Amino acid sequence: MTRGMAHKSTVEQADLDRLQAHLEEHFQPRDHEEAQELILGALQHVQHEFGWVPLEASQAIADHLGVSVNRIYGLLTFYADFRTEPPGEHFMLLCHGAACFVGGSQKLIHELRDNYGIGQGGTTADGKLTVQIVNGCLGVCDLAPIVQFDHEKYVGNLDVDSFNAAIEEITANGSQREDHGAD
Amino acid sequence: MVLTDRAAFDAHAARVRAEFESYTSDSEWTISVCVSEDSKAKGVLDTFEHLRFRIESGDIEARLRTTGGGGWAWADPSIIVSGPNHPAVLYGNVGSDDVPGLVAALASGHTYDAGLIGAFGESDTLPAVADHPYFKLQTRLLTQNWGMIDPYSIDDYIANDGYAAWIKALFDMTPEEVVDEVKASGVRGRGGAGFPAGIKWESGRRAQARPKFMACNSHEGEPNVYKDRRLIESDPHRILEGIMLGCYGVGAERGYNYVGGEHLLAVERFRHAVNEAYRLGLLGDNILGSGVNCHIRLLTGGGAYICGEGSALMYSVMGERGQPRTKPPRSVEEGLWRRPTVLNNTETLAPVPDIIRNGGAWYASLGTERSTGTKLVSMQGPLARLGVVEVEMGVSLKDILYETYGGMAEGKTLKGVQTGGVSAGPLLPDQLDVAVDFDSLQQYDCMLGSGGFVVFDDSVDAVEFGRYLMDFNRWESCSKCTPCRLGNKALVEVVDRILNGRGQERDMQLIESTAKHVMELSLCGLGQVAPAPLIGMMRCFPEDFEARIDAASEPIEAGEQQRFVIPLAAVGA
Repeated sequence: MTRGMAHKSTVEQADLDRLQAHLEEHFQPRDHEEAQELILGALQHVQHEFGWVPLEASQAIADHLGVSVNRIYGLLTFYADFRTEPPGEHFMLLCHGAACFVGGSQKLIHELRDNYGIGQGGTTADGKLTVQIVNGCLGVCDLAPIVQFDHEKYVGNLDVDSFNAAIEEITANGSQREDHGAD
Repeated sequence: MVLTDRAAFDAHAARVRAEFESYTSDSEWTISVCVSEDSKAKGVLDTFEHLRFRIESGDIEARLRTTGGGGWAWADPSIIVSGPNHPAVLYGNVGSDDVPGLVAALASGHTYDAGLIGAFGESDTLPAVADHPYFKLQTRLLTQNWGMIDPYSIDDYIANDGYAAWIKALFDMTPEEVVDEVKASGVRGRGGAGFPAGIKWESGRRAQARPKFMACNSHEGEPNVYKDRRLIESDPHRILEGIMLGCYGVGAERGYNYVGGEHLLAVERFRHAVNEAYRLGLLGDNILGSGVNCHIRLLTGGGAYICGEGSALMYSVMGERGQPRTKPPRSVEEGLWRRPTVLNNTETLAPVPDIIRNGGAWYASLGTERSTGTKLVSMQGPLARLGVVEVEMGVSLKDILYETYGGMAEGKTLKGVQTGGVSAGPLLPDQLDVAVDFDSLQQYDCMLGSGGFVVFDDSVDAVEFGRYLMDFNRWESCSKCTPCRLGNKALVEVVDRILNGRGQERDMQLIESTAKHVMELSLCGLGQVAPAPLIGMMRCFPEDFEARIDAASEPIEAGEQQRFVIPLAAVGA
């Protein structure tokens, strides 16, 4: 799929056409078992391209793989990585692994709540930043506590002040994202 | 190029071996930059670009290549340099600012002392890497290729005896012999349960239903372990070969690897590895004319910790919500698509190529009698050095903490070490002289789990840490069983009450009894241990809990219920 449909909050027919073409090229199950194995991968592809999984895309995947859209929504609501609403301009993964906790990531989460009014999965009122709190571990523990912006830029050894400064810096720029994490 | 028979593979191996050896020959400079997810976070790509600029500017004539991470996160960004009269040398903390100095030193025939860690080869003048405290206790078997080979190059892997075990199995061994070697090795499941892999393989081999499947669990969703993703990032073909040998041993024609979706680099490198193995003809139908078929599928998780549980993982592969089911039937009887499926952890499969090449008895000679082999350990917290290390089973945890990891960071006082991920309690400082193996930690009600240890200092309050661990399990509960879904939530609320200065004496008792319900009445491994870290914190640091409760204000008045609603719970923090 070509780039350029990043962080759109609505879905256009052209996007869906591209998705359809991609599904037909790369998601060709040989039997119904394989079709079911491909559902999560197809959803991850959509999120990678759109930044979220719109209902229309879920329907396209359901039709293509021969499963119900209800089942797809069952998956979207179970797996924490999926978003069913468009993310903000920038995306932040906040590592809340044990090393980051020991280093003070809880303070950063409180700061998000108190200063930005957002929690897990939330988007700031100005639409600039969406946060996902990683319950697992980003595996960059010697820089704990750490955040990752837009799936590439890490900022580590944070305290509340440097955290705010990092958010200010990233949100001051327009989005330059081309994709959205896992594919 | 597709290899069509064994002779073609052997010829190819000889060719790539010569190529690989030239990286450490003394005729030409070779600079290898170690790229992993954590070194990328520390700016290794900047270092790489600066080196490339210097080389292209003609400041030094050198080959520049990338390799996987070495596990030495404390030393990242790191590079390995070899050249004329210069054995392979590891340099650590080479930021882009260091590049001019480094290049100038090398070009004039000197070492760059600022980041020098040691030499891998023989050297009269340089310290040996093996003498460095970080390496001294280590036995690098699974990590032998880390930092040395390019994870995007199947040829680098083959040059280091890669796929030799696969060839040996295909042409010189029966599947039963493969299973027997794994049995003889005594390797036990590294995911936490410690079940002998050989027994599992034998059950899979004996199962009558067809087709059968092999599966590798690389989900690694715990909040304090990062070994499996490094295994895949730094040496993806080793894991792939382990899965392939499993397929051959149990009689499966298809293997799966289920990797956590957040491990982007691991997913990318494993996918590349599978494609390369197909391209070379090591995967596919009638491999190298042996008549054996083997196919690999890669699936990625969606951020649900529970999918590390065996049956949940299989439901996830099958495109379902990852909710565990009752057992029996075990997955070796009915797993994926209700067919016999042998599921092993990444780290369990990693030594299999060596076991097949060198024999199970050789592997069993490492480690202790009941816990053979080596173990990857990832220790975190305020330590002097961080990273993934590999030690023989049975090494003292205290030695690992104080020697390999260099002890506590300056100005930090050790309070305890959380063990077993989120499934057990902590160790106190005077309990650390305990062997790292499957059984020794149990005397303190702790467990090895997957080898993740979190060191915490006295700035960490045990009540808050207990809440954090409890809340992780509450958040990750799949909601299938009521005790786990509601009980864990209730436990978080009780701890919140204590944290908010409203704790009462009876709350400790309430936690104990609620925890007992959750542990005894839950279906799967998550619920059965979910309250264990909190109970462990209460056992080890009762004073932290009591201090909060003693300081609590008067009993709650009617109409004050609102103050119990904790906004944190709403944000899932």
